[in-house]
Amino acid sequence: MTTHPSVAAEHGAQSPFFHPALFYSTQDEYLAGVGSYVRDAVADGQSVLVAVPAPALAVLRDDLGDAGRDVSWVDMTLAGRNPGRILSMLQEFADRPRGAHDRVSIVGEPIWVGRTPAEAAEATRHEALINLAFEGREAAILCPYDTALPEDVLALAYRTHPVVGGPGPYRASSGYADPHDVCRDCDLPLPEPASAVGVEFDEDGLGRTRDEADRWAAAAGLSSARRADWLLAVGEATSNSVRHGGGSGRLRMWRDGDSLIAEISDRGFLANPLTGRRRPDPFAASGGRGVWIMHQLCDLVEIRAGAEGLVLRLHLRMG
Amino acid sequence: MAGMPGAVVPPDQGTAGRHASVVYSDDRQWAAHLCAFVRGGLERNEQMQYFADATDPEQVLHALADDGIDAAEAVRRGQLTVSTAARTYLAGAVFDPDSVFALWDEGVDAAAANGYRGLRVVGEMSWGTRNIAGADRLLEYELRIHHEVFERLPLTAWCFYDRRLVSDEGVNVLAGAHLTHRGGSAAGTALQVAPLHDSPGFLLSGSAGYDTRRVIDATAAAVSHAPTPRLELDLSDLHHVDAASLATLAEAAGRRPGGVPLQLREAPEALRRLLDLFPELGSAVEVVGR
Repeated sequence: MTTHPSVAAEHGAQSPFFHPALFYSTQDEYLAGVGSYVRDAVADGQSVLVAVPAPALAVLRDDLGDAGRDVSWVDMTLAGRNPGRILSMLQEFADRPRGAHDRVSIVGEPIWVGRTPAEAAEATRHEALINLAFEGREAAILCPYDTALPEDVLALAYRTHPVVGGPGPYRASSGYADPHDVCRDCDLPLPEPASAVGVEFDEDGLGRTRDEADRWAAAAGLSSARRADWLLAVGEATSNSVRHGGGSGRLRMWRDGDSLIAEISDRGFLANPLTGRRRPDPFAASGGRGVWIMHQLCDLVEIRAGAEGLVLRLHLRMG
Repeated sequence: MAGMPGAVVPPDQGTAGRHASVVYSDDRQWAAHLCAFVRGGLERNEQMQYFADATDPEQVLHALADDGIDAAEAVRRGQLTVSTAARTYLAGAVFDPDSVFALWDEGVDAAAANGYRGLRVVGEMSWGTRNIAGADRLLEYELRIHHEVFERLPLTAWCFYDRRLVSDEGVNVLAGAHLTHRGGSAAGTALQVAPLHDSPGFLLSGSAGYDTRRVIDATAAAVSHAPTPRLELDLSDLHHVDAASLATLAEAAGRRPGGVPLQLREAPEALRRLLDLFPELGSAVEVVGR
């Protein structure tokens, strides 16, 4: 088994999947920790994906020079704006047919300074789900964490990563928790909107509900192109309520700053927390196609699976 | 007056005019449509067949006689037959559009052999709402018959939809699959489909989602069976389509022989977005216009 050599040596990693959090405070620490990880993986002949915010991306590329020529570079603020779509991207990269080396190394920085608390919560859920999705795979995913992030966010990184590093060597995380428990803990109550337009629906009302969602978004000023995204996401969520959520549901819509929000609630539950986190076969009748589409089209998808049912909050920015 | 014969309809010529939906709400409207149909057949010297479902065949003959039509004589000389769907095209184990199309071929041949200019049929379609095997293919039948039968045969068919027996949703979707409407046109459903007037293909109107999957399934069946190499779906009046609907249509397009892509005309933004997400859905379709 090949992993990042120094890290493996330090940690004595036994699992083929290696998922450390790397805490950094300065650019030098970033380059030392992330840069060397990428450089070693490239030297080992692995496929490498670096998905970090654009400023860090530029610094890393510059630092790696020719060594970064075959690295796949992704601006996480765009590709991972909605944390719920990151895991699909990572799995798609890891699933790609490759040459002799079957191991991949990824840098994924899903939380950066400026993330809203709601985004950070869903990014934390994503971090926990990485452990389920990649369990047993020949892969490493290094997640850099800026120590300027809020304390609670940093504390959660100890729960979602089996290994942590920086400052100091890589070591087992004493706070690592079962990913299912972390996901449950992410299901905190959502703040109530000041006011919202509500629509109750069942199967017969799905068409009228789509029409109502379209009219409301148009009146709110959403562009035609984004309204298509809005309607696709709302349509998938409402039909999921009818199919899997007890046959009916409730749609609420409101505006929050520069975002439109659609909340779909029903009596369903999320049997598999990885639902919608892998690109589906569009010709397959089942398999999380709807949730995956929501993640791709929305700027944020908040998921709450509680005893009363399932709540999805779909956020679309106006711009 | 809406709902009565004499409403403005296209001339009873050409493919569009020969396949009509007839929607009525009471016996008086039913009888008026029936008599107009039979008078037209007598004038054109066409053989006529009435396939009843809810109506007693004797009542058909009485209604014609009450209107001064010598139905008994038409029956005696073989120009008019009144039977039931259950004893004819529903007599098999399952309603199968292809089997019924074959019956129309035979009927038209027989009419010609007997010296008639064509075949003219009425079908009471209320059986489509009952738990009859294959009844879920009625919309597929109504769509396919346009290109697969009427463009080949001198057949005129009026499909009778009784609002007392068929739900508004059912009437609107099924009547909407015709190009000529007597007794009121169809409206008010989330999604409607109809054959195109002037070229091979179909027009989808409204919003396609999980609730309209049966309409999409029927459209997909019509797409995959369409006999012409070039086929178009006019989507200019479709303002939304979901991934499952697009996948169903794309799969049907892929089943068509010949490899000519199904043309999707003036597709809504949602469809283009889905093709961005799932390029594989575009392997057998070509988006044109808009």
